[in-house]
Amino acid sequence: MIISNYLRAEHRECDEIFAAAEKSVIEGNFEQAEKQFLLFSNDTLTHFKKEEEELFPTFEEVTGNTEGPTKIMRYEHEQMRGLIGKMAGALESKDKDAYLSIAESMMILLQQHNMKEEQMLYAMCDRAIPQDKKESIIETMKSIEL
Amino acid sequence: MFNQGGLSLDQAPPISVVLRFFVTASIFGILLGLFLLSQSLNITLLSSYTTQLIVVHTLSLGVMASFMLGALFQMLPVLAGVVIKTPTTKAMIVHGLLSVGVLVQIFAFGISSNSLLFFLASAYLGSALFYAIYLMLKELVKIETHSSSSKGILLALFSLIVTAIFGIYLLLTEGGFIAGVEFSQIKELHYSFALFGWVSLLIVSVSFQVVEMFYVTPSYPSNITKYLTITILGLLILKTILVLLGYSTTLLTVTIALLFLAYATVTIDRLMQRKRPVADATVWFWLFGMALFILSMTIILIGSLFTISSTLQHLSYVAFIGFALSIVFAMVYKIVPFLTWFHLSNQGYMEAPMMHDVIHPKKAKIHFYIHVTTIMFWILTNKITILGSMLLTISFGWLFYNLIFAIRKYIYTQKHCEKIEWGV
Repeated sequence: MIISNYLRAEHRECDEIFAAAEKSVIEGNFEQAEKQFLLFSNDTLTHFKKEEEELFPTFEEVTGNTEGPTKIMRYEHEQMRGLIGKMAGALESKDKDAYLSIAESMMILLQQHNMKEEQMLYAMCDRAIPQDKKESIIETMKSIEL
Repeated sequence: MFNQGGLSLDQAPPISVVLRFFVTASIFGILLGLFLLSQSLNITLLSSYTTQLIVVHTLSLGVMASFMLGALFQMLPVLAGVVIKTPTTKAMIVHGLLSVGVLVQIFAFGISSNSLLFFLASAYLGSALFYAIYLMLKELVKIETHSSSSKGILLALFSLIVTAIFGIYLLLTEGGFIAGVEFSQIKELHYSFALFGWVSLLIVSVSFQVVEMFYVTPSYPSNITKYLTITILGLLILKTILVLLGYSTTLLTVTIALLFLAYATVTIDRLMQRKRPVADATVWFWLFGMALFILSMTIILIGSLFTISSTLQHLSYVAFIGFALSIVFAMVYKIVPFLTWFHLSNQGYMEAPMMHDVIHPKKAKIHFYIHVTTIMFWILTNKITILGSMLLTISFGWLFYNLIFAIRKYIYTQKHCEKIEWGV
């Protein structure tokens, strides 16, 4: 379960920074919110990159399936990249209601996505990818930066 | 090679699948309020037993089952990776049979001398519930690695089967088709499986995912997520055996109440520790619901150990109804705005309304205030009153208005906004 454990922990970290940024927006502390949001978007996009450049190709290679779950996950990443952009726009214009509204959609989309990854895709990866290969892709993922 | 389950683009059933159930549920809620109003004004002269039957079943089937089955059609792909193929037709069949069944059942209870109505009610309701359960269970049993949620939903659906079988037995007895020798025992078990099994287990299972993930709370203790739902079901099965053999079930009821008390306390604790600061109405609905669950279970606990007045016993039912409705409302105010945005956005409408434009949090807060006033009023008066009935009607009326508003937004966007083809 090393894939699941490693990537699930990243999901939780992103959730916490997301919550912190949201808290600052509610309090009207936009300066602080911007810093936290930047951290959230940076971590989230790095996480997507790790999956798209390392995990998904390995899964596709091992299973021979490029039209299945990874395609959907990539599509959802794109959707969330779009929402991150919209959140950044709302933050820049200090539009609290717009930010919170987009953040709500983002949160549900993100959590639905995370549930699917954690309950299905990561579990599939842990089952299908050989142990040594799993260890090496985790090492590579750790070094990936945005 | 792999079961891709919910990992498909068309995983989310069309929005109509969910909304048809939600709109119908709120209409049944309004009708219930109006029925109670007519009772309080002495327009309908039904006995308190008949009134009780009509109220309980309109609530549990017309309102709760509609909300819960609608939500399950939507949430099974996400919570359990289960996809129901051609969901629109199947949802339409379940919805149609259930709605007609509820209406027929109300008339059967109201005109209790007509045995045909009892037969029709059991036929419609039985086919609606068994068909829905079949659609969901046949996919759920295929899951190799269950999450606490998917396992709990499976057990909740199993409880619904038992509830429905016992319910049909009771209806056929009322209609004079069978002798119903075990009527009072089956009635007790019917209510136990409905309340502790179907409703409570479903809410518990959903909460295992929803509370932690949507409000960013610490996880539930693994003892609770692993063992609570299966233990409750085990206790209910044991209760069935003991009741049918004529033994006392006090200890079992005490254990069930204690387990749910522990669960509700932990849920409140987790919600209070949530990292997401957003104090939206859905969090309040959850907290209020759990407080009512605690009240209901405490009374049941005391009632199992000591003799309590029927007024107090009645209070535990009102609190339980308040609990179940609170959680359902919490879910509806997350699901409907999200789905409206999600579907329109996926269809390529760049100007898809954001969640707050579909149902603004202020509207959900207004519903929360109405809901709290309604439930507290019913708890304090503990009888059918004109004001209590009006409050209930307003509560469901407000929800109905919010749902219609969301549907109109959806249709408006489809008709008037520019669409871009994603090409996925």
